[in-house]
Amino acid sequence: MPSRPLAELKAQVGDTHRTATDLGIERGKVAEFARAIHDPADIYLDEAAAKQAGYEAIPAPPTFTRTAEFPRYVPDGEAFNLGFDPARVIHGEQAYEYERPLYVGDTLTGDTTLTDVYQREGEGGGTMTFAVLETAFTDEAGELVLTATGTSIETGQAISEGDE
Amino acid sequence: MSTAYAVGDTFTETTGPVDRADFVKYAGASGDFNRIHYDEPFVTDAGYDSVFGQGMFTAGVASGLVREVFGLHALAEFDTRFIAQVWPGDTLTTTVEIDAIEDGNDETRIEASVTVTNQDDEPVITGSAVAVQ
Repeated sequence: MPSRPLAELKAQVGDTHRTATDLGIERGKVAEFARAIHDPADIYLDEAAAKQAGYEAIPAPPTFTRTAEFPRYVPDGEAFNLGFDPARVIHGEQAYEYERPLYVGDTLTGDTTLTDVYQREGEGGGTMTFAVLETAFTDEAGELVLTATGTSIETGQAISEGDE
Repeated sequence: MSTAYAVGDTFTETTGPVDRADFVKYAGASGDFNRIHYDEPFVTDAGYDSVFGQGMFTAGVASGLVREVFGLHALAEFDTRFIAQVWPGDTLTTTVEIDAIEDGNDETRIEASVTVTNQDDEPVITGSAVAVQ
């Protein structure tokens, strides 16, 4: 169970925190990320190839904003405190809506809203606590680039295959 | 990449077997340093048999085929639900299947299912993608 009672978590639903600042999309990080996901496509590695494919610059992979949680982008004291035990947290779902491709050279700001918190009993025993966090990433012009919605689950015990 | 699709068109790509090094590389590239993905004593103390991959690692693997099929200009939505863990040694097969095509006045909306299965044919991710052209 989270170290904070459900009522305290529910009281945070609707709150928005600035969770990423100065998230510069850097060429080296994009190349490293593309290789790590086994998709080292030319468009992620080479500007000429990207432009030839119709992109205005090297684009970032669809899930690249996962990097927003590197400490360098996270403002002090702004994160949601859900009291989840890190050894018990799993990622239930991740959804993205894109307004345009994300490009090397973009600098993003992330604002995260806690949109839902709920609990249910896991099949294998133990209470599962779900938190849905929606992050709007905007560019330097203040335009929305993408929205990333993640569901975090604190499980009651170590999960095994087929628990969900 | 062709822009002509038909309902039922299916694309697949196989990745792996993946191992601990893949999870470590993804940790370093993504900033997800949760120890459950690379620290064996930590995870066995927590009750797991071994480390397992980040869900977002597998989502990233799936995004490769989605990118190849639709391109990033057209990609409007990408949704992944993490159904089961990916363990060291697993081989992952991503499948993108065109489910629906809606022709609008000036654009076409294409909906696809996205699944990732392991070598035992068990789903580890079920999801979807939407492209607008």
